[in-house]
Amino acid sequence: MSNEPRPETEPLRRRGFVIRKERLYGRLIAVCAVLTIMVTVGIVLALLGRALTFWTAVSPVSFLTGTQWSPIISGTYGVLPLVSGTLLVTIASAAIALPVGLAAAIYLSEYASDRARSVLKPALEILAGVPTVIYGYMALVYITPLFQGVLPLSVPVIPSGLPGVPEFILTVPSLRTFNVLSASIVVGIMIIPMVSSISEDALSAVPDSLREAGYGLGSTKFDVSTGIVVPAATSGIVASYVLAISRAIGETMAVTMAMGMSPQLPYFPNVLRNLVESSQTMTAAMVQIAQADSLGGVTYEAMFALGMTLFVITLAMNAVAELVRRHFREAYE
Amino acid sequence: MAAGEDAVGRLRRGSGLRFEQLKGRVFEALLIGATLVGIVSLLVLFGYIVFDAVGPLAASPRWYLLYFGTLVTPTAAFTLYARRRPAVRAANARAFAAVFGGVVLSLAVYAVSDALSPYDVFIYLVFGGGPSVSIAVYARKMNDNTFAGPAVPVSMVIGVAVAAGFYDVLRPIIGTVPRWITYIAITTVPVAAITGWFAAREWTTRRGLLTAGVVVAGGFAVAGGALVSGIDPSFWVVLFSGTVVPVAFVVGSTAATNPEGRIGMLGPFVVIGGGLLGAVVERQFGIAGLDSYLTPTLLLNSWDGLNAANAGVYPQIVGSIIIVAFMGIMAIPVGIGAAVYLEEYAPATGWRGRLASLLEINIANLAGVPSVVYGLLGLALFRNTLGFGTGIVVAASGTLGFLILPIVVVSAQEAIRSVPDSRRRASYGMGASRWQTLREVVLPEAVPGVLTGTILALGRAIGETAPLVIIAVATTTYSAPSGLFSSATALPLQIFASAGNAKPEFRTGVVAATAIVLLALMILMNAIAIVVRNRYQKDD
Repeated sequence: MSNEPRPETEPLRRRGFVIRKERLYGRLIAVCAVLTIMVTVGIVLALLGRALTFWTAVSPVSFLTGTQWSPIISGTYGVLPLVSGTLLVTIASAAIALPVGLAAAIYLSEYASDRARSVLKPALEILAGVPTVIYGYMALVYITPLFQGVLPLSVPVIPSGLPGVPEFILTVPSLRTFNVLSASIVVGIMIIPMVSSISEDALSAVPDSLREAGYGLGSTKFDVSTGIVVPAATSGIVASYVLAISRAIGETMAVTMAMGMSPQLPYFPNVLRNLVESSQTMTAAMVQIAQADSLGGVTYEAMFALGMTLFVITLAMNAVAELVRRHFREAYE
Repeated sequence: MAAGEDAVGRLRRGSGLRFEQLKGRVFEALLIGATLVGIVSLLVLFGYIVFDAVGPLAASPRWYLLYFGTLVTPTAAFTLYARRRPAVRAANARAFAAVFGGVVLSLAVYAVSDALSPYDVFIYLVFGGGPSVSIAVYARKMNDNTFAGPAVPVSMVIGVAVAAGFYDVLRPIIGTVPRWITYIAITTVPVAAITGWFAAREWTTRRGLLTAGVVVAGGFAVAGGALVSGIDPSFWVVLFSGTVVPVAFVVGSTAATNPEGRIGMLGPFVVIGGGLLGAVVERQFGIAGLDSYLTPTLLLNSWDGLNAANAGVYPQIVGSIIIVAFMGIMAIPVGIGAAVYLEEYAPATGWRGRLASLLEINIANLAGVPSVVYGLLGLALFRNTLGFGTGIVVAASGTLGFLILPIVVVSAQEAIRSVPDSRRRASYGMGASRWQTLREVVLPEAVPGVLTGTILALGRAIGETAPLVIIAVATTTYSAPSGLFSSATALPLQIFASAGNAKPEFRTGVVAATAIVLLALMILMNAIAIVVRNRYQKDD
């Protein structure tokens, strides 16, 4: 600070500068905020432009109802086999992650000591933090050979010779190198924390008075957990399920690496055969197109159409989850 | 009383109650099992990867005995000793952070500067950093930040623009200097300035200047030594500035100020010394060691699709670091800015309030968009609209930047929200403006949370693969990217490309080791985030 007296106008000019500076900073920060909206706008524009071009070349009806996906070889763009592949992985991984995640959430919220919780919660989060390409690698190189040692399998569930009951033998064919099973296992593992952490928040948000009322009526801890806390937190649990499923639908690397690139409609009636065969999801189909040498033409635009479909599905699921969650917030706050 | 106990006893003996008890126990066991099943399976799978990458069966029992003696036992003994003594433990942690942080940082700085050319780094550092740092220091000295705030970033932008404009003139002039001198300029000089500043703050200005002088002289001495022995001094200059100086400073100041914990400084040297001793004995006596793919070859060579023993992922590692670093420079300020707007600036009512709630919903939705879709955005924006080449650093960084933006915003919002309102009111009450409050009160308090969140976001970006595949980043390049507009590759892409390799030495050898390198990078990021969080939490 200099000791010389400043001219009279200096403080005023300074104040004017400070005010302008404040306003400038405020605007810069607002620009940052608006940029996040521009990302969404950019995604929608990028997807819509190309996808619309695609849908003028290939009619949306034949895209949505076609049963053959073979963009590079024969130029057929029926999305149903890809939807079936995506659904297969989603259902199979949900079959793993939803019950396991909910059970983990109940344990963490109702049973675990503070110490156990402080160790287990971050440990569960790691499951979602491992890069998906490593999950894909593990599925392809370690899990598949593990199951290949066990399969094919035929278990007589109802043995022959029983009077009046038809014989039923459960048969699982041998496992392909690329298969739905191992991909679903790793996708299931990686979405467990999605279910467990959001469900646990919902379970912990159930007021203690409800639990105490249950104990007061002579309920056991089991009764209170399953009969009071879980039903009271249903909407939060459902929201976590929807988010986890949406994540499974959008999962890319693990399913591309472990499930292969052969789009397939589901097999009936031996449903289990679907798990051991190779298939392809929408995301994997996008990767396959992106990796093809010649990028251009209808095939290239098909990638954007798939992306658009995926974007709409996940957006809708997130919106549903948010709505369900809001419902649960209103109930207890 | 007795009658009551009797009744309880009867109840307890009753089969219904016993069944209830059993049901409860089985249920709890099931829950524990479910909580652990994911974690345990992941650990088992990691175990497979480590087993394949390291090859522990090839090592003889003598090898295990040797390292048990030189590395494990001393480390364990030291840890046990330090455990009971908080001062020793704290000093030990500091020494570990200094040694390993210094080594990692030096290696990263050297690899990145070497790839981008140290001359270029020097030019941009001088023009971008020089004026802005001088302005900041001057403002600090004058105790007047009014003009420095806008002047620092503006001078940085102008400096970089000038450097880019006159690059063709500057580069040949700078190019006449030997490489190692540019390394002295870009590493030794800043490190000298920082250590000097620390020393000046702790003791006197004179000592600060002296320290800085000693550091610079040391840099030249190391370079001179290397020149005399006929090796390229560049790497040794960086290692000296990035590792030796900070470690010496931390060890020296702790030894001087903290006699109780002094001994804790030995921790990292016990580990390193044990490892080196083991290696020397192993080589000397020809003991059969591990059949490991996790070797210096892997870290320093470029990919070799024919010979697994010769394959490395150096370009991939450097590519990943450069992509993620540039992504952070672009995305983190925007993310923090958006968070500040939502938490501090956005009004609750009116059309702006509605805009803010729209922003919140938008960010929540962006976080749920699958990563492949971001790849399509990157493809459409950088390739089709801006016409950039395929798979260049800028496109990869930009695409990943969009992807982590919502993560950064959400974590920064949480950190800013956790600053108590009373502080803000106190600041406003003293006549501070909104920006002053933000700068002097809110942001300093929110820094640990913001840093933790952003470092975790960087960790996430390092492992991200799908968007990079979509924007057609090459899976293998044979040299590290030489600039922001040159093509690059990233570690996870190499794993993706080679996981299906038919040869087992790749499939379960080199690729497993590459996966460990990727995981190690992520663990490193997470460790930094945890250290940052713990450090700032202690200060509270």
